[in-house]
Amino acid sequence: MLLEVRDLHVEFRARDGVARAVNGVSYGVAAGETLAVLGESGSGKSVTAQAVMGILDTPPGRITGGEILFQGRDLLKLTREERRRIRGAEMAMIFQDALSSLNPVLTVGDQLGEMFVVHRGMSKRDARVKAVELMDRVRIPAAKERIRQYPHQFSGGMRQRIMIAMALALEPALVIADEPTTALDVTVQAQIMELLAELRRETGMALVLITHDLGVVADVADRIAVMYAGRIVESAPVHDLYRAPAHPYTQGLLDSIPRLDHKGRELHAIRGLPPNLLTVPSGCAFHPRCPRARDECRTDVPPLHTVDARRGSACHLWRECLHG
Amino acid sequence: MGRHVVRRLFQMVPVFVGATLLIFLMVNVMGDPVAGLCGERQCDAATTARLREEFGLDQPVWRQYLTYLGNVLTGDFGTAFDGRPVTELMATAFPVTVRLTVVAILFEVVVGITLGVVTGLRRGRPVDTGVLVLTLVVVSVPTFVTGLLLQLLLGVEWGWIRPSVSSEAGFGELIVPGLVLASVSLAYVTRLTRTSLAENRSSDHVRTALAKGLPRRRIVTRHLLRNSLIPVVTFIGTDIGALMGGAIVTERIFNIHGVGYQLYQGILRQNTQTVVGFVTVLVLVFLAANLLVDLLYAVLDPRIRHV
Repeated sequence: MLLEVRDLHVEFRARDGVARAVNGVSYGVAAGETLAVLGESGSGKSVTAQAVMGILDTPPGRITGGEILFQGRDLLKLTREERRRIRGAEMAMIFQDALSSLNPVLTVGDQLGEMFVVHRGMSKRDARVKAVELMDRVRIPAAKERIRQYPHQFSGGMRQRIMIAMALALEPALVIADEPTTALDVTVQAQIMELLAELRRETGMALVLITHDLGVVADVADRIAVMYAGRIVESAPVHDLYRAPAHPYTQGLLDSIPRLDHKGRELHAIRGLPPNLLTVPSGCAFHPRCPRARDECRTDVPPLHTVDARRGSACHLWRECLHG
Repeated sequence: MGRHVVRRLFQMVPVFVGATLLIFLMVNVMGDPVAGLCGERQCDAATTARLREEFGLDQPVWRQYLTYLGNVLTGDFGTAFDGRPVTELMATAFPVTVRLTVVAILFEVVVGITLGVVTGLRRGRPVDTGVLVLTLVVVSVPTFVTGLLLQLLLGVEWGWIRPSVSSEAGFGELIVPGLVLASVSLAYVTRLTRTSLAENRSSDHVRTALAKGLPRRRIVTRHLLRNSLIPVVTFIGTDIGALMGGAIVTERIFNIHGVGYQLYQGILRQNTQTVVGFVTVLVLVFLAANLLVDLLYAVLDPRIRHV
């Protein structure tokens, strides 16, 4: 495994209590693999990613337990400086809103070139040449001229390409993309996803794709981890999960995708709201919204049951779920 | 960029005309320019009439204003009633006030920004709280209190400085008056820098810089400071004009013969030409300072430049 998160716990201290954002998340990503982490906002998917990157705001955030193994080393045991050297070079991150995530007062050339200047000790001139190459690689037209421009002079799609170029600059082994297409038009979304998939194939990097959009995931991901209230509730190869979900929450998500052959029928929605992280329900956190909930769901926290060698489900009733 | 400058220059014209017209009307129409000319006594009717004719005060007001504006544009600010040309007064007064303002601006830039950066990066720590309380005190106490207090303590009690500034008014003598003049703005600059820094610190692009694995020093100087200082620079720029015109109190306390002193004397003795002349030049200084800010803004923030 390239990256292995083991039993990670993250909490945020707020004025009115402690929000447990991540409650024992474990997942692994092999080299070259694409893992999609799926979940509603507040499910802990971004917080987990920030903990992996080491860019969590601490305080108020605090990692209270677990291990993050990357290339065999526990990142949580490294010094600040050691982690900084890994960030950007060995693992990189792509953010949701490229306009606010890029520095508005520096040219894109400066921001791309900075990676080579800081991590590789290149001269500014050489870094600029590299930056043009990167922009060509993510297919930004007229890269040589546009390198002197500022982020606001690019379109949304082009800006996200710059973000991607920046993440890929030093050919990291792992790229985490946090909702990379959410802020974009639908047509541009497809282009960006295609570009990501293509670059992943070319470079052999592993990709963690964080999203709340099941539609985005199907074509790109190898595996899916579904998160709910700071836990992984189901983890499976993408086709297995689509064919037969082993958790009622995954079932609900799949049912709420609009389908052409269901035209005219009412669209399914999961009833209720995502839980408040200050007061996570007892037992299985999903039980207040679950159509299959029984007494044991209210009292016992379900462990991640082994469904088969490659999938797991944190549901007491995974067997019934799997067989409809 | 060039068009931006030209547009700004054109926008200055109505402001200049409006401001000078206003001050001209206030002094010439609402007050009586001749009233103060005969000392303590009232002028007799014949003298008044002679003086009014001599100074063109029998002409209609709009004509007086146009004549005045024409004279100003050719560098003639008129004669003070003591016979000296107003430009001569300006030549002695403005260098002094400019020096005083330079000292004050230096305090704002060096001390204000430094304190703002230190507190902005250490929010909630004792340094931060201490400086915040101090700035609150400085903002709350009027300049004349701060000024008189410092004069009393440093000048009279401890004898570190001379309580009143000599007529040369060199930079060394202007350090304490400059600090007094800057004090309120200094506190604002500190707070503005602190807030702006703290705001930008949690911004997305700083998080990106962190994710890129940049060293902390580089993140602060390249990605945090530059963006955070844009509003601070704007404030300091506009403050240049305010400091020059607002130095009256400080100049009175430390007996500095600068613009504020001349204006005060002019108003006291109803020297119309002096007052109008000095205010006109101050309006020009304001406009120039604002233009400077606009240009600086465009240099610092490319989003303005490319509109």
